[in-house]
Amino acid sequence: MNENVIEVTGLKKRFGDFEAVSGVDFSVRKGEIFGFLGPNGAGKTTTINMLCTMMKPTEGNATICGHDVLKEKKKVRESIGIIFQENTLDEKLTATENLMLHCRFYSVPKKERTTRVDEVLKMVELFEKKDDVVENYSGGMKRRLEIARGLLHYPNVLFLDEPTVGLDPQTRTHIWDYILELKNREGITIFLTTHYMDEAEYSDRIAIMDNGKIIALDTPSDLKDQIGGDMIELTTEDNSLAIEEIKSKYGNNVKTKGSAITLSVKNGSEFIAGFIKDLSVPIKNINLHRPTLNDVFLELTGREIRDEATGNGSKKPAFGHRRF
Amino acid sequence: MEAIYAVWHRDLIKFIRDKPRLLGSFAMPIMFLVIFGSGMSGALTSMFNTGGMQQFADFNYVSFIFPGIIAMTVFSTSIFSALSVVTDKEEGYMKEILVSPVSRTNVAIGKILGSTTVAVIQGLLMLVFVPIIGVEVTLKSILLLIPAMVMVAFTLSSIGLLVASTLKTSTGFQAVIQVIIFPMLFLSGAFFPLNGMPGWMNALVKINPMTYAVDMFKHIMLDVGSMNEILRQAMGLNLSLMGHTVSTIEEVVFIILLGSVFVLLATISFNRSE
Repeated sequence: MNENVIEVTGLKKRFGDFEAVSGVDFSVRKGEIFGFLGPNGAGKTTTINMLCTMMKPTEGNATICGHDVLKEKKKVRESIGIIFQENTLDEKLTATENLMLHCRFYSVPKKERTTRVDEVLKMVELFEKKDDVVENYSGGMKRRLEIARGLLHYPNVLFLDEPTVGLDPQTRTHIWDYILELKNREGITIFLTTHYMDEAEYSDRIAIMDNGKIIALDTPSDLKDQIGGDMIELTTEDNSLAIEEIKSKYGNNVKTKGSAITLSVKNGSEFIAGFIKDLSVPIKNINLHRPTLNDVFLELTGREIRDEATGNGSKKPAFGHRRF
Repeated sequence: MEAIYAVWHRDLIKFIRDKPRLLGSFAMPIMFLVIFGSGMSGALTSMFNTGGMQQFADFNYVSFIFPGIIAMTVFSTSIFSALSVVTDKEEGYMKEILVSPVSRTNVAIGKILGSTTVAVIQGLLMLVFVPIIGVEVTLKSILLLIPAMVMVAFTLSSIGLLVASTLKTSTGFQAVIQVIIFPMLFLSGAFFPLNGMPGWMNALVKINPMTYAVDMFKHIMLDVGSMNEILRQAMGLNLSLMGHTVSTIEEVVFIILLGSVFVLLATISFNRSE
């Protein structure tokens, strides 16, 4: 009937005076990876919590597989799998015990339990460690086990709330391999929240969220195309003077990004050669790259996601696609 | 139904795996039996003997407090077991349970049954002291003791869950439970005969539901029938409420009623909590 697995209209959540989610509308198609990108505190987790019946919306409504999240909680819960931002495993139990409990909570048919548990454990490569107490697992293994658990009852939609937060880059890539394999093999719909730009790139469509609102919704490439061409990022001896000059000479969209200046141009590699010669303010360094989602966010809000996303620099996402 | 089993089973696995908790649960009873028991026993016996009263020759303080010790173990284990509800909230596992299609009522019942089972096992484990302290326990009294422990543990587990469902931190839970459990224990007649108390204290003892549970345990474990009337009175075994001597049947009915009320309140409260 309906190809949209998730339908959301006018969803709001207020905590006292604070409006965490201020009226969002979107729909998620069957079989796609739908990403929610935004800084911490943008309202991503609150939205997920409302969608998976853990939180009551202040206003608006949402359906999952045609079931209303307020009126048909049980039906909704049966059709979704969730990997929460924080660990929700019972660390005193073994992997198998954790998974068996999950089978019981979701009434997985008794005969299928052992096969399914083994199957998901093999998928996330934890089969050999299945009888180890989860306490002894590494962070990445725990995450993989949670993903395995989320799939045990064959959900129609899998919610991933910051699935790789706090993990090292290698483990993150590894976990994404599983997620993508899953999408291709099972055709499962995936709803993802993240503040990592590169992670959002895996999505078929992205909703960029800021201050409780969706400020853009499109495919990653279309979002980046909105910027129009390539990004030049430079630092100069006098940034404010340089901005004045660039504005008067090229009329381009110029923005400050930390201690640097960014501007978007068509045919960047040709442009940059003349640009370096023309600019009278001495350039300290300069680079040219394809727009990233961070550039999109900067374009839309005048701020960077990563400024707010990570207070310390240690968890900064690796930026790809840099070229000259 | 299966969810109830799942929640119950998890609590049991964790109980069996947690050896320090098991060993620790023997600490308090040993302290009471050995230190309190030996000390009080000597003092009381010498007091009675000075009085030269023949009727007290049979008085044995250790066998008097032993049913109280078992009751104490069952009380505190069942009420404290609800701590797992709070730690599940703290550690995140509660989310896994609550986001599943399982009804919250079933989760609550599973938790209460889990705590009840653990408490009954702990209570029965106290019987290992029987040969050491030299009290006599018949098979019949053990068989009667089990259903009595189940009733009491079920009631206290419900009270524990009721408290746990309203709190978010384990330190908060422990503080609240201490405030509830200690007055309940000390004003229940578990440690001293309920005789000659000041009026205010008598009132507190009579409204304390655990008084009736402890009395029930004593009547099951002590050979009350063969005691002479004066000894029975001295040991506080003629529990009366407003001039009426309370019978064991009445106590059973009372505890079942109380358990039903609290299981209802706990389930409602657990259903409402976020």
